[in-house]
Amino acid sequence: MQKKFFLLCMVLVALMAFGTAAVAQDDVTLLWGMWGDPAEIATHQLVADAYMAANPNVTIELWSQPWGEYFTKIDTLFVAGDATVIPDVFFMTPIQDRAAAGVLQDLTALIEESGLDLEDYWPGALESTSYEGVVYGFPRDIGIEVLYYNKDHFDAASLDYPTDEWTWVELRAAAEALTVKEASGRISRYGFAMEGGKYFDFVGANGGLILDDMFNPTQCTLSQPEAVEAFEFFAGMMNDEIAWRSANLGQAGGDLSVFLGEQASMFIQNASRVPALNAAGVNYDVAAVPTAPGGTRQAGIANGAAWVMSSVTDTPDAAWDFMQFLQSPEGGQAIYFATGEAFPPTRSGAESPVFMNPERGPENKQAWIVGAESANINGFGWFPEYNELNGTLINPVLDTIWAGEAQAADVLPGVCESVDAYLVEHGYGA
Amino acid sequence: MATAARSTFQAQPRILWGRLTLHLVLIVGAFIMLLPFLWMVSTSLKTQTDVMRQYPPRLIPETFMISNFSTALTSLPFDRFYLNSLIVASSVTILQLFVSSLAAFAFARVRFKGRTLLFYLYLTGLMIPFPVLLVPNFIIVRQLGWFNTYWALIVPTSFGVVSTFLLRQYYRGLPMDYDEAARMDGASSLRIWWNIILPNSKPALAALAIFIFLGSWNDFLWPLVVTNSEAMRTLPVGLSTFQGQYLVRWELLMAATVVALVPVLIIYFFAQNWIIRGLSVGSGLTG
Amino acid sequence: MEKAALSSPPPPTLMTPPLRSFRQKIAFRLGMGVWRADQQFEGYLFLLPSLIGFLLFVLAPILISLALSFHEWDLLTPPEYVGAANYTELFTNDPVFGAVLKNTFWYTLLIVPLQLVLGFVLAVALNTGLRALRWYRMLYFMPVIASIVAAAMVFRFLFNQQSGIIAAGVWQTKELLLGLPFVQASPQLLDSVQGLAPPDFLNAPGQGFLPGWAIISVTLFTVWKNVGFTMVVYMAALQAVPDPLYDAAKVDGASGWQRLRYVTIPLVSPTTFFLLVVQMLGAFQLFAEPFVMVASSQNSVALASESLVMYIYRNAFGFLRMGKAAAISWILFAIVFVVTIVQTLLQRRWVHYQVD
Repeated sequence: MQKKFFLLCMVLVALMAFGTAAVAQDDVTLLWGMWGDPAEIATHQLVADAYMAANPNVTIELWSQPWGEYFTKIDTLFVAGDATVIPDVFFMTPIQDRAAAGVLQDLTALIEESGLDLEDYWPGALESTSYEGVVYGFPRDIGIEVLYYNKDHFDAASLDYPTDEWTWVELRAAAEALTVKEASGRISRYGFAMEGGKYFDFVGANGGLILDDMFNPTQCTLSQPEAVEAFEFFAGMMNDEIAWRSANLGQAGGDLSVFLGEQASMFIQNASRVPALNAAGVNYDVAAVPTAPGGTRQAGIANGAAWVMSSVTDTPDAAWDFMQFLQSPEGGQAIYFATGEAFPPTRSGAESPVFMNPERGPENKQAWIVGAESANINGFGWFPEYNELNGTLINPVLDTIWAGEAQAADVLPGVCESVDAYLVEHGYGA
Repeated sequence: MATAARSTFQAQPRILWGRLTLHLVLIVGAFIMLLPFLWMVSTSLKTQTDVMRQYPPRLIPETFMISNFSTALTSLPFDRFYLNSLIVASSVTILQLFVSSLAAFAFARVRFKGRTLLFYLYLTGLMIPFPVLLVPNFIIVRQLGWFNTYWALIVPTSFGVVSTFLLRQYYRGLPMDYDEAARMDGASSLRIWWNIILPNSKPALAALAIFIFLGSWNDFLWPLVVTNSEAMRTLPVGLSTFQGQYLVRWELLMAATVVALVPVLIIYFFAQNWIIRGLSVGSGLTG
Repeated sequence: MEKAALSSPPPPTLMTPPLRSFRQKIAFRLGMGVWRADQQFEGYLFLLPSLIGFLLFVLAPILISLALSFHEWDLLTPPEYVGAANYTELFTNDPVFGAVLKNTFWYTLLIVPLQLVLGFVLAVALNTGLRALRWYRMLYFMPVIASIVAAAMVFRFLFNQQSGIIAAGVWQTKELLLGLPFVQASPQLLDSVQGLAPPDFLNAPGQGFLPGWAIISVTLFTVWKNVGFTMVVYMAALQAVPDPLYDAAKVDGASGWQRLRYVTIPLVSPTTFFLLVVQMLGAFQLFAEPFVMVASSQNSVALASESLVMYIYRNAFGFLRMGKAAAISWILFAIVFVVTIVQTLLQRRWVHYQVD
C-alpha cells in the first residue's frame, strides 16, 4: 500500500516536473504598447484575448497611453533602458526618427526566416514603415480613399452610378447634374464634397507632386503644369458651384454630415465613414476615386500607424509571431476590420471575407482594392519641418484658391518660390 | 454706499414715448443677446435630419427630442468632462482664496522686511500677459511630470496674483481696531487672520470665489495646452475637440452645451448681486 | 504705511505683553520689539504658498520665456541658441506674421470702441429706474458667463455661409425682393438683387489692410460676449455719480444730452479708462473666439482670422517651434506695454478724477 502510494507520488512529481518544465520553457509574456481612447483599447484587448486563446503559453499585457503622452513615454522608457518594461511590440508613426535612433528592430532577418511575402502589402504601404531600405514595421491599416455616392440622388436624376473606371470628366458631369440650385441662387445641394486638404488626390493622379522628393526635397513642384491643371479642376468645381467650398465644408460639420444631410451627393474619403453610413441606413455605395484623364489614379495616401518591434526585446520570435497574428486575416485583422471602418494594408486582408463581408455595406468594396493598386505615399512630407512648411507657406495660399479669391496659375509660382527659399534655409535645397 | 442716482431722463408724460422706444430697443437688444442661446436650445431639441436639412432653419423644432440630452450624456464622455471641470474649478477656487487671502493679509497687515519690494514684484507679474507665460508654464509642467494630470490643471492657476492684489486693497480698507486689540492679547497673526480678517471679508471672498470659479470653469487655453486625453479634458476643451470628429452631431453637441451652461446659469441667478457688486468693487471704482 | 484708526488704543509703551515664545524672548532681548520678530516670520510664512507659486509659475516662466525666445527648440532635441534669429525672422521672413498683426490690430480697433460705447449706452438706458432692470441686466449679462466654446460653436453654426441662419436670411430676403413687382420691372435693380449672395462670414479676408468678413464676424461675436460686462461696470459707475451735480446742471438749463455730455461722461471717465485698458488687453489676447469659431486645423494658419495668441499656440504646439512662440509672446508684451503706457500718459487729458 505504501509502496503504491509512493510510486504514485513519484509519478505525479515526475509528471509535474516535466509538465512545468515544458510550460516554463514556452511561457512568454509580451508587452504590447498602443495609444487610443477606451473604446479603441477595448478592441485591442479583444485581439490580445484572441491571440492568448490560441496560444495559451503566451500572455499579452497591454501598455496604453493617451496619444499626447505616448511618444514621450516610449522615448523615456528606451532611454531608461530596462527591457522588462519596454513594450516588445508597439504602435509608432512616423518611424524614421526612431529607426535612426536604433530603438526599432530591423525586421529583415525575421521576414526572411518566416518567408513573409512583402508583395502582399499594397505598393507604398511599406515605404512609410521603412528606413534606408529596411523594413521596421507593418501598418495596421492604410488610408485608401473611395468615392462615396448617394444612390437615391442618382436615381432621381436618372444618372448612371459611378464606376471604377470613372475619370474627372464623368465626375464633373455628375456633380453638375446633381447640384440643385434654387431660384434665388442658393445651392441647396452640391454634387460633390471633398476637404481641400485632400487635393493631392487630383494632383497625384495628374502626375504632379508637391515636392520633388517627399523624404529629401530639393524643390517645390506645385507650380508645374500637371499640378496646376489639377488645382484648376478641383477649384473649378468649387468656383462653378458644383462642389462645396473647403472651409464651409469643415465649418458645416464635414463631409459625412453634409452627405447625411443630403447637401452633397458624392464625397471622397477613406473607410472611416462606413459604420456611420451603415448605421444611418443611407442608400449609398462606393466607387474607386476617379482617374485623371491620362488614366492614373491617386486614392489617398497609403500610410498608416505601424506595429514595430523594440530592438531590445528578449523574445523576438514570440514578438514576431504576435506581429504576424496582428496582420493576418484570421487573426488581428478579423477584429480590426469587422466594422469596415478601416482598410487592410495587405491584399490577403483586403480580399478576406472579413473585409469583403457581403452582409455589411457598401457593396462595391472592390473600389478600395482598385485604389490600393496604385497606392503611394507622396501626399505627405516625411521630414520634420513639413508641418511648418505646409502650415505657413502652402496651405494658407491654397485656402485662397479654394475660397475662389485667387487662381491657381497666379499664386502657385509664388508658393514655390517661398517653399524653395524655405528648403534652402533649412538645408534641403538643391 | 451709493444711493440710487436720479435718472438723467425724468418721467414726464411726453417722454412716455421715449420710455416706450427705450423698452423696444432694449427688448430687441436682449433678443439679440438671447438668440444664440435660443438657437442652442432649439438645436438641442431637434432631430438629426432636421438639424442638417431644414431650410429655412426654424427656431421652434418640429419634434421635441428630449432624448437628445440623455443620448449626449451617455454616448459622449460629457460626464467625464463635467466631473473634471467641477474638480478643477472647485479646487482652484478654494486654493486660490486660501493662498491669496493669506498673501493679501501678509501684504496688508503684517509688517515684514521686504514687503514693499515683494509687492512691487507681484505688480510687475500682474503686468505680464498670460501668453508670455503659456509656453514656459507648459514646459515646467511637463518637467514636473504633471502633464495631462489634475495637478497641471489646478496648481498653476491657483496662484491668483490678481486675487492677492484685490484682497490686499480690501484688507487695507478694514479698520485696524480688532487687529491691534488682538495683538495686544498676544494673538498670533494666524489667529488674527482666521478669526478676524476672514469673517470680515466674506463679501469680497464670496464675489471673488464666484469669479474664480467661473473663470476656471470657462478656461479654454490652458486646459487645451495641458491635457491630451479624453479622460482629463475639461468641459470647454472636451466640447471643442469633440467637434473635430468627422461626424458632428450638432443636436447632441448643443444638448451637451446646454447642460454645461446650466450650473453656470444657476450660480448666476442666485449670485447676481454678488457678481455685480464684486465687479464694481473689483474694477477699482472706489479708488 | 497705514495709519491706525483714531479710535484704536495707543500702543503700550511701558507695559509689555506676557512673553510667550522663545522667538519672542530672543527678539525682545535683542531689542527688536516683541511683535516685529513674530511678524517677520509670520509675514513670510503667510506669503510662502503664494510666493512659491509666484516664483514657479510667474517669475521663472518670465525668465525662461525670455531665454527661450533666443533659442530654437522642438521639445525633442536639445535647445539651440540662435540669438535674435526668431525676432528677425518674424519681421523679415514670416509669410503669415503680417496678416496676424493686421488681424489683431483690427480686432482691437473694432472690438474695444464697440464694447465701450454699446455698454455705456445700455448702462445709461438701464439707469433710468426701470422696474424690469434686473431682468434686462440678467439677459445682457448672460453671454458673459456662458462658456466661450459653446457660444463660439453656436456662432459658427449661425454664420456658416452655406448652412447658417444669417446666410439663410440673406437668401430669403433675396427671394422676397425678387418676388417684388417693382424689382422685376427694373433691369438694373433686378441685376443687383440677383447678385446678392451671403459673403463668407467666417473665412473672407479683407482686401489689403482692410478688415474682412472673418474679422467682422469674430468682432461681432466678441462684442456680443462681452458687452454685458462693460454695461454692468458702467452701471455701477453711473450710480456713483452724485445727484447734486445733475441737479445743478438742470438748474443751469442743461438738456438731457448736455447733462450726459458734460456731467455723466466726464465723471465716469475713470471707469472708461479702466475698461479701455482692460479691454484692450483682452482684445490683444483674443484666442478662443477666433480659434473655435473658425476651427481651422491645428497645423494650418487661417490667414483671415488668425490672432497673435493663436499664432503663438500654433508655433508652439503645431509646428513645435517653442523659441519662436516665445519670441512672438514678447512682441505681444511689447505692444501691450507701449499701448498701456501711451494710454496712461494720455489719461491726464481726458480722465477727470473726482476731488473728494
